[in-house]
Amino acid sequence: MNQKDILFKEIFDKNAKKIFHLCYGYTGDKDSANDLLQETFLKVWQNLDKFRNKSLISTWIYRIAVNTCLTYLRAEKRQAKDELTENIIENKMEEYSEKNEQVALLYTSISKLEENDRLIITMVLDELPYHEIAEISGISEGNLRVRIHRIKQKLTELYNQHARI
Amino acid sequence: MQEFDHIEALWAAHTVDVKISSDEMLKQAKKDVNNMRTKSLLNIFGMSLSFLTVACLWLFNFDSWTTHAGITIIVVAIAVYTLILYNNYRIIAKSDFTVNPNEFISQLKLYQLNRHKLYNQLYWFYAIALSLGLVLYFFELSTHFSLWVQILFISLSFGWMILCSTLVRKAVIKKDKERIALLIEKFERISEQFKEQQ
Repeated sequence: MNQKDILFKEIFDKNAKKIFHLCYGYTGDKDSANDLLQETFLKVWQNLDKFRNKSLISTWIYRIAVNTCLTYLRAEKRQAKDELTENIIENKMEEYSEKNEQVALLYTSISKLEENDRLIITMVLDELPYHEIAEISGISEGNLRVRIHRIKQKLTELYNQHARI
Repeated sequence: MQEFDHIEALWAAHTVDVKISSDEMLKQAKKDVNNMRTKSLLNIFGMSLSFLTVACLWLFNFDSWTTHAGITIIVVAIAVYTLILYNNYRIIAKSDFTVNPNEFISQLKLYQLNRHKLYNQLYWFYAIALSLGLVLYFFELSTHFSLWVQILFISLSFGWMILCSTLVRKAVIKKDKERIALLIEKFERISEQFKEQQ
């Protein structure tokens, strides 16, 4: 295994979960999130030689993931029907618990936000520093703070609305 | 009634299972990149082969200037079209996914518009140039063949071009149009979100 392979595996192990959070928050659907996660890391692999340490590697991967999410076309049929059926069965068999239900509700609420807001809030929840989120999303830090405040309010509202149903 | 603190705590406590391992991802990434490279190389190879095949016709002796003009027009049309395809491919290939989303999306939008132009106005220039080239090329050549061979040549050449200009082109445009429509709808929605924040 060469140096690039080892580096890639290390990067994947360190960042995959956070990127999955971002993609899941964006799509509100586990299978699409998995597709997006794989697409993101495919781009990471392709562009790994171009990474020049100008920013943190996590920031760089987040940017790739954000761009991948924003250009994702939900209407595209990415899976065959039989694969979908298998996934539905698999999802149904997942352990039911109140916490799982709350988490699912949270992801549903996030997916009801606007595209950019979904991405920003998942990064906030994953405790990324504000200056990094600003860099990734291409928004000034001042605007970002105001925006995050609004998104938090909106998300809490949506979560409570869904919890009542 | 829950507060945002509850959401934060819930998020911090939850775990997700990423279905794919780093080994599988590495294997898949290598496979996908190789497939893309092969596809792109085959495309360029195909166009280069057409270019060389037509250019090789110059090795034969032709008396009429119309034949040379025909070959030149066809060769130039293929070269220009290949160059346009290559330039469009470069817009995406050179795209730095690390630049901010707005810049990336505007680059992608440019690529989509270029593809749209390629299948519409530019396609007809290409088809007209090829037809004109073929007509000029067959002008001298037709004198060496019987009427039936001439008819067969002309029918096959123009039949193939008509098929490409109608059925094949329509299918490709339809597929591309659906993708463009979805992307444009999304770009508009995203631009609206950016406007709101200012």
